[in-house]
Amino acid sequence: MLRRACHLLALLAFASGAGSAQTTINPDISVIPRFLIVTNDGEHLAEGKRTFSQPDFQFEELEMVIAAYLNPFARADVVLTLPGPDIEAGALGIEELYASVLRGLPLNLNIRLGKYRVDFGKLNMMHPHQWPFITQPLSQERFFGESLNDLGISVSALLPTGDVYSKLTLDVLRGTPIGEATGIEDTTGAKPTYATAGRLMGFFPVGEYADLETGISFYTGIHDPYYRERFWYWNFDFKYKYKPDMYTSLTLQGEFLLNRRTALQDRAFQPFVDENGNPAPRRITSSGAYLYADYQFMKTYSIGARFDWSQSPYSTDDHARALSLFLGYYPVEETLGVRLQYQNTRTEHAGSAQSVNLIALQVMFSLGPHKAHPF
Amino acid sequence: MKRMVVFVLLAFLADISPAAVRVVTTLSDLADFTRKVGGEKVSVEFIVRGNQNPHYVDVKPSYMLKLKSADVFFMIGMELELWAQQLIDGSRNDRLRVVDLSKSINKLEVPTRVDASQGDVHRYGNPHYWLDPRNVRIIVQEIVAALATVSPADEPTFRANAERYLQTLDAKIAQWEVEMKPYRGSKIITFHRSWSYFAAWLGLDVVDYVEPKPGIPPSPSHTAELIRKVREGGIKAIVVERFYDTSAPEQIARATDVKILRLATSVGGVDAATDYIALMDYNIAMLSAALK
Repeated sequence: MLRRACHLLALLAFASGAGSAQTTINPDISVIPRFLIVTNDGEHLAEGKRTFSQPDFQFEELEMVIAAYLNPFARADVVLTLPGPDIEAGALGIEELYASVLRGLPLNLNIRLGKYRVDFGKLNMMHPHQWPFITQPLSQERFFGESLNDLGISVSALLPTGDVYSKLTLDVLRGTPIGEATGIEDTTGAKPTYATAGRLMGFFPVGEYADLETGISFYTGIHDPYYRERFWYWNFDFKYKYKPDMYTSLTLQGEFLLNRRTALQDRAFQPFVDENGNPAPRRITSSGAYLYADYQFMKTYSIGARFDWSQSPYSTDDHARALSLFLGYYPVEETLGVRLQYQNTRTEHAGSAQSVNLIALQVMFSLGPHKAHPF
Repeated sequence: MKRMVVFVLLAFLADISPAAVRVVTTLSDLADFTRKVGGEKVSVEFIVRGNQNPHYVDVKPSYMLKLKSADVFFMIGMELELWAQQLIDGSRNDRLRVVDLSKSINKLEVPTRVDASQGDVHRYGNPHYWLDPRNVRIIVQEIVAALATVSPADEPTFRANAERYLQTLDAKIAQWEVEMKPYRGSKIITFHRSWSYFAAWLGLDVVDYVEPKPGIPPSPSHTAELIRKVREGGIKAIVVERFYDTSAPEQIARATDVKILRLATSVGGVDAATDYIALMDYNIAMLSAALK
């Protein structure tokens, strides 16, 4: 233990600049832009018309990934993104910027520090270019916005579960991005209201060619800075992948998210009131889920379907469901990808319903080194 | 009762007695060499199945778990296993000794220019060197040195086992060379550049590849070019690794009557390849029959 503590001190000294090592090694740099051609039939529904819009050429997003080891103990990853649709006027922003201490810590702990996608569920850690589909699942979009991505510190440990790989990750986070997803901006000037998150996962080989990963995650924080109301997200995820050879694979993945919170107002800042018009805090339990299947064949093609269903963080009446069909074509490994997706989304809110069809074609390429994707 | 207590105690002590050197290898071939060298002094697991393409391996947590408790990790190196570093990091095993076995290999096809226009080229040269059995001597010596570092007391055993194995292998190499001598200079096509060391050893002439560039799937125009080359004569076989699709080679075979040979690149690639010598026996037998 003492030796490990010394290692940690040495590492911290090195990281704080006490060392004067020089390096001539450049980090790995890769650039992954995604472009879209998209059309939908929902733009004129208010006028009673259902016609597909003229296909629109869009710049979806550019990801620039810079990654390297800082020293023998730690590595750093930077993901810069230029969001669409305005390719000329957009500004490059920091999606992730973190250092990971991989070695030298007691109990073989790993620590991540910085701004990062939180280890919550299965999809949240994946960047969109890694998805087999184009659109984000409704539950992720409604409960998190783009992703659960925050400034914080994460500690993870492998659990002593014998032949089963299991990992526990705990995060302490700044806690502000939840406002982006729930619509309540913190202007109280009060001290930060930290959020915490965690995930327990297990990985189980199922025969020679298949594997199953399951996980349970939580995320809690203050969603209403004025009344200090807390929310809890619980998430259950699984991924099953059968890959008998290098040309064929079948992936099944799904997540179920449960939200519980006490709220005094809805997302539109309308207060919840009782029959006498007095403020009446409301206990909300809502949820969302997605399930997809993706079949890869002939190495370069994939075909799949996804079903989404989701309520909203502040309402069980506001809900949506979607069915998507998608095709992927990757002619030269992952250096070039073309995806086609059809999605029907039906939203229901306050007694009214709306159904929109969307067709999107996505083209992306990957310039520079590209790591193997984790399971 | 006393006997039972002693029995339980002995069983417990046996369980916590110094374990064998725990080794994980990337390829099944390296696992075979390690077993031959280490005998009962080592426990060996490998990651890539013999019928699997070693370039593309999913980064699975179960592989990290194997490395978590390992003492030594043997790998081919030369960027064959680009996925390996993620497994090493994920294993959280600070005392893991990672051994790149390519250090002393005389490397072939070291590129002068490396960029994606050349396909999936390896900066340090062609990494399929284990398919020349003469390189096994170098690999085995590296394995002996690494195991001896972890378990110095067992070094004489490792050396004796290695020498015995290499004597057997040398005899087989001589036999294989005699068997293949009539076919020196024979022209073949291979799917990927897996067979460069193998072909150089046996004096075979690899005139082209089914992949237009390493790692790039066969294109119709390149397949047509190969059909033209085969029709010009002299090419007797297309050697295809067990894990590659045979659509393009079969198209060439249908147009030309050239033979398709599905050889194994690693132990376990076919049922008959139970160890490295059996693997080479299988490949030599298949090849010599096809080139007759």
